[in-house]
Amino acid sequence: MAGKRLLDLARPSRQHWLGYLLLLPAVLLIGAIIVYPLFVSVDLSFQNVGIARLDLPRRPFTTDNYARLFASPDFWNACWVTLKLVVVVTTACFLLGLGTALLVNNRFRGRAIARLFVAMPWAVPEVIAVVIFAWLFDSSFGLFNWLLIKLGLIDQTIAWFSEPGPAFAAVATTMIWKGYPFVSIMTLAGLQSIPEDYYAAARVDGANAWQRLTNITLPSLMPVLGVTIVLVMLWIFRDFSIIYVLTGGGPLKATQTLSIMTYEQAFSFFKMGYASAIGIITLVICIIAAKLLMGRAPESL
Amino acid sequence: MRATPLQTALLYAAVILTSAILVFPIYWLVITALSQPDQLRQLPPSFWPSEPRWGVFKKIFEERPILLWLGNSALAAIGAVTISMVVSVLAGYSLSRFRVRGGQSLGLFILTAKMLPATLLVIPLFGIFRTVGLIGSMWSIILAHATLIIPFTTWMLKGYFDTIPRELEQAAMVDGCSPLGALFRVILPVSAPGLAATALYGFVLSWSDYAYARTFLTNAQQNWTANLGITTMKGEYVSNWSDISAASILIALPVLLIYLFLERYLVGGLTAGSDK
Repeated sequence: MAGKRLLDLARPSRQHWLGYLLLLPAVLLIGAIIVYPLFVSVDLSFQNVGIARLDLPRRPFTTDNYARLFASPDFWNACWVTLKLVVVVTTACFLLGLGTALLVNNRFRGRAIARLFVAMPWAVPEVIAVVIFAWLFDSSFGLFNWLLIKLGLIDQTIAWFSEPGPAFAAVATTMIWKGYPFVSIMTLAGLQSIPEDYYAAARVDGANAWQRLTNITLPSLMPVLGVTIVLVMLWIFRDFSIIYVLTGGGPLKATQTLSIMTYEQAFSFFKMGYASAIGIITLVICIIAAKLLMGRAPESL
Repeated sequence: MRATPLQTALLYAAVILTSAILVFPIYWLVITALSQPDQLRQLPPSFWPSEPRWGVFKKIFEERPILLWLGNSALAAIGAVTISMVVSVLAGYSLSRFRVRGGQSLGLFILTAKMLPATLLVIPLFGIFRTVGLIGSMWSIILAHATLIIPFTTWMLKGYFDTIPRELEQAAMVDGCSPLGALFRVILPVSAPGLAATALYGFVLSWSDYAYARTFLTNAQQNWTANLGITTMKGEYVSNWSDISAASILIALPVLLIYLFLERYLVGGLTAGSDK
């Protein structure tokens, strides 16, 4: 009886009301909690708004927020801090992640456990990672000060969170520890897909370990690594909890990234219009950077 | 080609040294929790407490509303994951099986939504929730966490459904099942492992949030999540690192356990949509 109207899923070109119906809840919810807020935040960025309330009449349209933003040294400082952090943390995460992945990809007994261990920081919530490193970097009884003195690298204890340079180093260290496992996990997945034959053939041709790494492993990993690097950079760009809980953006704005500046303007100074403008600029930079780095549409993210 | 004993020894040494350094911060967290507070103010530090202070876990349960915080985090995560899963299962199935006008663009938009900075979205959400009176309520973070989770779960599930042969539904429908019936009675049961992995991944995303909880719940102490609670302990005038560490272990534990069980599925979550 249903024979005539049987839904033929083997023909993907099939358009069917059910396809639309199944998407409807997602469309409504995403519309309400992502698209509409995004629209509101663009709208806010063009108004002189203190604390956002949607039931009050709209303020007049103005581009003041953006004008003020580009004239503000704080904004350029935040751009510079963000850039430094992205470069330092991405490079370190990349080297550490790739190194650990290649290391545990060797055949040895206990490999499964070693793989679990090297990527374990992934499973530590960011706020907890901050607790760990805040204590390790503690200025009086922290382990790092003790270790550095013991190794003869410093003469007296460093007040990590009261000086700009050390605070930046502490933030970067925490982010590297939290971020490199993602690179390890992705690299390990990429390594699985390289056919063993390639290595066998290379050995027959007399290639040594270094040649196998540079001629087979790394080129085969490039697509995975490309996506991974972009994702790591976007994560650093947008991160809030690590920096905010560890340093609050200080001292002297030495760790104030664009994300921290956005949040501070909105929820410490209650300049939500201005903050939205910074947020929109951050998003635009993210999208442009992702597009440039991927060389194609952001659909690969 | 067989490795020489020297190579094997070097490999083991490298693996053990690397793992030890990288996992050391977690080890140090545990040792800090188990040390007497005055032991922590001694140099050189002791890397193994003389008398492990197991009572610290009982102590923080008594002195701090840690159970309430963990419960709130669980409630937020379960709420957000439930909403996200319902929406994502249906949408993921549609994206996997139907060619719907606008479906492609919707899928792409959902993927791009992963790029949205929370610090940007939190401002309009604050305005909206304030207008409708949701600030301070659990609903505010349940909905906010859904914005984090849906982009991941939709693509993870679409990818999972793509691996299930269409012949399964065909057979069910030939037997008289409606298309929706085929989804609920045939596809979802065989997808159980994928659904579980996806839901747990969403749970981790919600459990790890700090930005939204900090913004919406700061003035509603009875609704504090674990991450928000722990930062207030850290911010106190005199930090008691032993207690903070013990609480941190309890907060990190669910995610660590999920990681141990889920490691094989993780890559799917992290890369969902990347091969698009």
